[in-house]
Amino acid sequence: MQIDFHYYATYCSAYLAGYSHEDCLAICYSAQFTDCCTRTLLSTIGGPAEAATTQLQLEMMDARTDILGLQDITRIWASFHFLPRDLKADPGKGSRIYKAKYRLICGPNGDLLVKTVNLAKDKSLQAAGIAMHVLADTWAHQYFAGTPSQVINNTDYWFFELLPAEASGDSADSGDSKENGDAKKSFTERRITFRHNPTGKDDLDKGIYTGTVYQLEENSVMSLGHGRAGHLPDYSFMRYKYLPAWGKYEEVIKDNPSDYYKAFCQMVYAMRYLRGDYSAFETGRYDTEKVSPYETEIKEIPCADWKAFGEKLSGCEIPDFDANRYCAEYKQASEDDKDDTFLGSYIDAALAQKTMVTNQIFQSDNLLAGYSVEYSESRFLGIRDFIHYVEHKRKKENA
Amino acid sequence: MSKFQRFQNIVIGLSMLISAAILILLPEGGCLYIMLFLAASLILRGISELIYYFTMARYMVGGKLILFIGAVFFDFGFFTLTLSDESKLFVLAYLLGFHAFAGLVNVLRALEAKRYKSTSWRINMAQGVASILTVLICMIFSHNETLLVYCYCAGMIYSAALRIYSVFKRTAVVYIQ
Repeated sequence: MQIDFHYYATYCSAYLAGYSHEDCLAICYSAQFTDCCTRTLLSTIGGPAEAATTQLQLEMMDARTDILGLQDITRIWASFHFLPRDLKADPGKGSRIYKAKYRLICGPNGDLLVKTVNLAKDKSLQAAGIAMHVLADTWAHQYFAGTPSQVINNTDYWFFELLPAEASGDSADSGDSKENGDAKKSFTERRITFRHNPTGKDDLDKGIYTGTVYQLEENSVMSLGHGRAGHLPDYSFMRYKYLPAWGKYEEVIKDNPSDYYKAFCQMVYAMRYLRGDYSAFETGRYDTEKVSPYETEIKEIPCADWKAFGEKLSGCEIPDFDANRYCAEYKQASEDDKDDTFLGSYIDAALAQKTMVTNQIFQSDNLLAGYSVEYSESRFLGIRDFIHYVEHKRKKENA
Repeated sequence: MSKFQRFQNIVIGLSMLISAAILILLPEGGCLYIMLFLAASLILRGISELIYYFTMARYMVGGKLILFIGAVFFDFGFFTLTLSDESKLFVLAYLLGFHAFAGLVNVLRALEAKRYKSTSWRINMAQGVASILTVLICMIFSHNETLLVYCYCAGMIYSAALRIYSVFKRTAVVYIQ
């Protein structure tokens, strides 16, 4: 998903869930910041490197693809962008390592989503923002895994865009166009061409998109998440079908407008739960009651002009997203006060989410995200960045 | 990292260091040993690709490609073994190709990192410059077998050091209920 959904649509859903304008801004900022909180950024403000929630392209190019590097990458991407749907899933084939990778395939309404939302309950607004980012991405990024894997994330030439029939004029209608399954009367197909120039822009009119280049290595970062499918899963207006590498040659149809609407309704439901309107967060539930008055409007928003919709809802201006908005505050705070800053709370929530997901993956006998050790007061066995997090958590519990 | 992986990394790292030390102490005929080592690497790569195919890639859409690639690597490894008469030329080509590519990529990464104001650009630039210097030294002294062996050993020692360093790095993520 892109800034339109993670920032503006999250603002809208938070407002519909009952948060004030200021709280909505904090939540949607945190949701979008999850796509910006890199080690590079953290190093410039003096934050803990382990709190990184994403990686820059150059960081990934530098990332080692040995066991430690892969675990680090998996911790980041599986925790925040490709939350696994079912850690016990059985593909019915393959070696132990194949099964471990298969179980990291992202999807909505999994057990880990419940744990993610529950983790944000009675916590900061930043924690709610991170949870909403993770929730939204389970819809956008489904069928891909947050670990470098050719056998799971690869795609091939069998990749078609589904265009509404009235919108696909002669120029868009290639020789590959044909009637399609359920959408027999309303969609035509256009074969998608992927190019591999990272600076090249997607050409929506011609159906040319940028994707990562094919690599032979199973663990190449080029096969991380939806890299091979380019930005298609992130476009709110996109419908397409393709053959996922793990899918036994069965086509998958991805309908982003429908999925994004469900994501929006589920975010409203989740945030109402966080506010105490519901006693438990259950999967498969969507707050259509709150959203239905705006359903037509939301679905008709051209390319999702969520900003205008949000401002109309609250009657307040939504400032443009600025990744550095709270950096100076964190940087200038003394060591003792850093935790009380906006980014201090964000870092705390990010570390909590990362340790929870890593622990769950580890508990399922899957070592792809690394080892997770129980906290021991006598001897600290973990990564040093977590010392501060643990001490902070203890301090809060004692208080 | 499991205890076995740590043990494996230490054994491989130490083996690389010992091999490099032997080659540095006895550089005569070193190119032949390096070539044999490279041929063995290709054969092992072919075998690992075949294992990868039978354990994972056969379940992937289009995975048969891996089977063909494994067979090609395996075959190329044996072909390399037949080139023992031209071992110096082979090692020279390997060093030039590997370091030229690595140097270029490192310099480009360093420039990009600098643009993002990341502190990692210096180490990237240093690695890139070192690789390019290695290429220049290999080209200028291409007739000197001993120097080619030293260049190869330097790369091997660097890889071994990284491998051993990773063993002692803290890797577990702490979780409190």
